[in-house]
Amino acid sequence: MARTRSGKGASAKGQGDEKSNAATSSSSSSSVYTLSETSNPPKLFILPKTASPAARIITLQHPRCNRPARFLVCPKAGFFEFTAITPPKSAPRSWLLSPVSPADTNASGDAKQPAQITQSPALYLATPYDPLFLLLPALFASDAQSSSSSETKSKKRMFLSLDDHLDAVPVPSDPSSDSPNESSNHLAALLTTSPTLRRLAESRLRAVCDVVRAGDEDMFRVNEAKLLGELLGKARRMIGADGEDEQQGEKKRRLPASMEERFVRRALEAPVLGVKIARGGTSTTTMEEGSGSGAATPLSGGGDSQASDSSVETVMSAESVATSVSAVTAATSVAPEDENVISAITASDEVVSLQRLRVAFDFILSSCVPPSVAELLRAELTKGTASEAVDFTPLDDYLTRLTKLRQEAAAARSADFSRKREADEEADERAEKKRKKEAEEKAKKQNMSRGVKNLMKVDTKGMKKMSDFFKPKGA
Amino acid sequence: MTQPILRFDEPTSQADNPKTTPHLLPCRVHHDGPVEPVESFWDPKPSPDGTASTAYFRGRKLCGKSIKLPEGYRGVVAVRTPEAPIDASAAEVIDLEVAESDGGMPAAQGSLQVQAGFDEMMIWGHDVAVDSADAGGGATDPYLRAVGEWLAVSERIHSYATPDAEPGAK
Repeated sequence: MARTRSGKGASAKGQGDEKSNAATSSSSSSSVYTLSETSNPPKLFILPKTASPAARIITLQHPRCNRPARFLVCPKAGFFEFTAITPPKSAPRSWLLSPVSPADTNASGDAKQPAQITQSPALYLATPYDPLFLLLPALFASDAQSSSSSETKSKKRMFLSLDDHLDAVPVPSDPSSDSPNESSNHLAALLTTSPTLRRLAESRLRAVCDVVRAGDEDMFRVNEAKLLGELLGKARRMIGADGEDEQQGEKKRRLPASMEERFVRRALEAPVLGVKIARGGTSTTTMEEGSGSGAATPLSGGGDSQASDSSVETVMSAESVATSVSAVTAATSVAPEDENVISAITASDEVVSLQRLRVAFDFILSSCVPPSVAELLRAELTKGTASEAVDFTPLDDYLTRLTKLRQEAAAARSADFSRKREADEEADERAEKKRKKEAEEKAKKQNMSRGVKNLMKVDTKGMKKMSDFFKPKGA
Repeated sequence: MTQPILRFDEPTSQADNPKTTPHLLPCRVHHDGPVEPVESFWDPKPSPDGTASTAYFRGRKLCGKSIKLPEGYRGVVAVRTPEAPIDASAAEVIDLEVAESDGGMPAAQGSLQVQAGFDEMMIWGHDVAVDSADAGGGATDPYLRAVGEWLAVSERIHSYATPDAEPGAK
């Protein structure tokens, strides 16, 4: 009916309909495929192989961002958090699911899954998750209610059983629903049905809590020092600094490469001018040993004559580039700076590992722990009362020195910039003046009348000057 | 807005669980659903050394890089079973907030029907393959980074002593 496009007249209408219908049907059979669209596209998951069929996906309040998040809970394998990987909007992606390969599909024949497109490029990763983090908000729930100082807070905390703690676990609530607590507490629901999960939760609580046995039930109260120790242990494990063979472990398992680059190497990098020289000189040595130990600041082979030679060369080139006097002084002042960096390197292994630990600890705090609890733990860490407290002072010293160096370098560089601009401005001024002059002359010429212009061409040689006629007679 | 507890429905027999290869195209295709016959427009060719593949998609050259899933993990293509409320809005949601329209059914049991499994993915880039993790810089591609780095890191962060075993559960 809607197919008529040409005005053939009312009499020929039916015929035209038939024709166009026939045309579309024939064309679709030859080269045009109609794609049936599904409103329920499949999703891609990466799941642990250990997860049993009893695993469930539940929704829980994420302890950090306080929004509902999906978790995969398996009685055997434990807890997993779903992380959705979505590329930025600037890099559009889509999934094309195709059967493995032509050879395989021929072999497996009819079990072949049709190829399909999924527009959403999301990939859901199930990564292991420590149930401790899920319980943390509940452990500190009493703090949130009482808004008094931290000293009284810790005294107010009660020994509670696991079930009571579970009741305090925040539930992804919906403001519109009337009964938020009814049965949407997935965690509690699961723990009541699965004794293994319950044991797991209790053991996690035991790791961070003071335990009192009341009757046949254990009562838990959170112990900040224990919690801090636990989290620091996690941070150490993350940077691979735990265990007995620390040297080996450090080489094998460090922070992931992107984190190492961004937060450790760059954070500890000395100012560009000083480091570049050292790096250019010792590129060979850093390749060999630096890459293994992962030293943030390049090791400088002091005794290596070749290295020092090439570093001198780079200094020279820097000098030749910089023309003015103060730039030369800046370049020469690099030498003490460079020395400074080298002297820091003697402590660098320690500093670097401390920085790694701090990055790892901050990462854990900022990704899994509620903000209020994170603050508490940071305070605890700086207080240093915990038995496992880490002395960050070498790192802090290094960082303060580093910021000073950076400021100096920035100041030197900004001085350079201003000098350059000065020169530019001078040249600009000159050009401006010239242009003005030219414009003036042009305007003058334009203002002259045609007669005057013609008279200017007259050959006045041998003529008396006009002024001669107006001289006083006597002189 | 309570969301149902979901479970994975896996086919019992191996024949019903075909393998698939997800290809991450470097473009957005505004379509969801089957695209047979795929051979007419998608024919990736592995390079002789087997490290990268080449394919031509709508006249553009794509270079693919294969990612093996890490040990202990498997990939699954799953779809929400039809009886569960269909969510059209979940396409670009970051969290797994499926079935937002699911009213008045607290703690409902839903399920995800597993259609196929995979243990490697192909990530395609225009003209050049996506960069890999090398030279300390780390991978810039979010997928490479997630599979290569994040799984291992989160394993380490979230490892804990199980009630039965001693610490160091990997």
